[in-house]
Amino acid sequence: MKFIITLILLFITGNLLFSQSAKKLQLTFNPTFNNSALNLSDSSYTSNRSDSLQIETLKFYISEIELLNDNKVVWKEENSFHLIDAAEKKTLSNFLNLPTELIYNKIKFNLGIDSVTNVAGAMGGDLDPTKGMYWTWQSGYVNFKLEGNSLQNADGIKEKKSFQFHLGGYMKPFYPLQTITLNVTEKDSIKINLDAEKIISVIDLQKQHHIMSPCKEAVMLSEKIAKIFSVQQP
Amino acid sequence: MKKFAIVFGVFCLMLSAFTTLKDQIFVAPKNWPKPVYDFAKNPLTKEKVELGRALFYDPLLSGTNTISCASCHSQFTAFTHVDHALSHGVEDRIGTRNSPALMNLAWHKLFMWDGAINHLDVQALAPVSHPDEMGEKIENVVLKLQQSKIYRKLFYEAFADSAATGERTLKAISQFMLTLISAESKYDSVMRKQSQFTTQEKNGYNIFQKNCSSCHKEPLFTNLAFENNGLPPDTKLKDIGRMKISKNPADSLRFKVPTLRNIEFSYPYMHDGRFKKLSEVINHYTSGIQHNKTLSKPLEKAIILTSNEKVDLVAFLLTLTDKKFLFDQRFSYPKEIFFPKPKD
Repeated sequence: MKFIITLILLFITGNLLFSQSAKKLQLTFNPTFNNSALNLSDSSYTSNRSDSLQIETLKFYISEIELLNDNKVVWKEENSFHLIDAAEKKTLSNFLNLPTELIYNKIKFNLGIDSVTNVAGAMGGDLDPTKGMYWTWQSGYVNFKLEGNSLQNADGIKEKKSFQFHLGGYMKPFYPLQTITLNVTEKDSIKINLDAEKIISVIDLQKQHHIMSPCKEAVMLSEKIAKIFSVQQP
Repeated sequence: MKKFAIVFGVFCLMLSAFTTLKDQIFVAPKNWPKPVYDFAKNPLTKEKVELGRALFYDPLLSGTNTISCASCHSQFTAFTHVDHALSHGVEDRIGTRNSPALMNLAWHKLFMWDGAINHLDVQALAPVSHPDEMGEKIENVVLKLQQSKIYRKLFYEAFADSAATGERTLKAISQFMLTLISAESKYDSVMRKQSQFTTQEKNGYNIFQKNCSSCHKEPLFTNLAFENNGLPPDTKLKDIGRMKISKNPADSLRFKVPTLRNIEFSYPYMHDGRFKKLSEVINHYTSGIQHNKTLSKPLEKAIILTSNEKVDLVAFLLTLTDKKFLFDQRFSYPKEIFFPKPKD
């Protein structure tokens, strides 16, 4: 009997200790256009190549979030899959539960969904196929989705043209998953900017206005987009 | 005290053994290879299988609420679409391929004629979303299910939560499809030494083993690989098969090897349904092979059969018919779910 009471006491104190030794880190993705907040209904954006454009969709998966101290992994999120959707504010911020004494200076995450998860069947939560980020004619997640339209000069006439970039794929050589590592300082929050103007500027919309399946171009564009993510900390 | 514990332990063991035997929904036929489906991630239950069965037969899954999975996969024809070379979907739109027969899917890793689908759970997304098939978004299917009284009940029974999600919907459809096991044909009973082939069937079996079994490997009657079986490509459909997915020229004109089980009822044959009769299929292999770079190796050497041998081969193929499977009530339209008898 004494033994059981001790066990219960141990359990309670353990729990208390444990809950006290956690702190929350707010990880926010901040979609911007030319360094100000991205407005999906603004059709007057301009880029260096086209006259005016509108971003209608910016959605992407972040997975396998890790914190590193120099190059050593000191924390890893379990079951780490997050769909970030510029149209849904609540998806932009995620809270990570860290132990208090954690020392780190880097954050690392994947842009997209790894190949093992891609062949593991139907999943729930942010990975549910109803989230509009799963291909149907061919299995696999869309890692990154950018859609919109632009007005372009075609032989002196302004022409409205839509663009769709659905980047994904899980089979080599068309495996566009990117790993992003960024330097951070220990604060209560980390803000990661992704500037849509910078993405548009690496695409020539005159020549290329859609990518809809796993291909070489999807891999190349994903590599370029991965470099655009940047950390903003006060 | 000790004695009691032992007796109690033995009792528990017996009980669990008894319930697992009684409740086992998926039983792999004896001497078959190990299924590739990961049951640990989606353990079968009676309630989930029943939900999947309802979904399989429900036209709610289509954009027009008129086409169900069963429209192109009817039980009496081994869950395929007979009489149509290319299956048709919503508003009578014609697709580009012959709907495959559904059975023994727990052993399949890749689905569709070109292997575009990498897991049974996500297979249903393809026909549901295709504009020429069911023309609906999975998001809408889930919404419709959430609003349905029948499905709220079925989801609650299956998942202890009445809300449909994409994952639950797809996993339930998988569960039903996994139960579609065909292993009770005459061929199977001969293999189990419970009956015997006729002389003609036996002769046909020998011909089959010599000429067909490298691709149509027993006991599934498919090696589950992608092969070019020498069909001259249809100039209108321009279907390159597996290469569409892999983008590898070595996969040009390769299509998934279909099972031959229940072939008597699963006509028409081939990925584009170009042959209506088994005799046409056999004549293709003896005299219609088009040689090209990706032709399946075993077909490079001509298959020569006399007309008697062809008849014998067909006789053997008919032993692959599994009437029990084709008429099994567990796989049929769930009228008791959609039209429950009023309680007196």
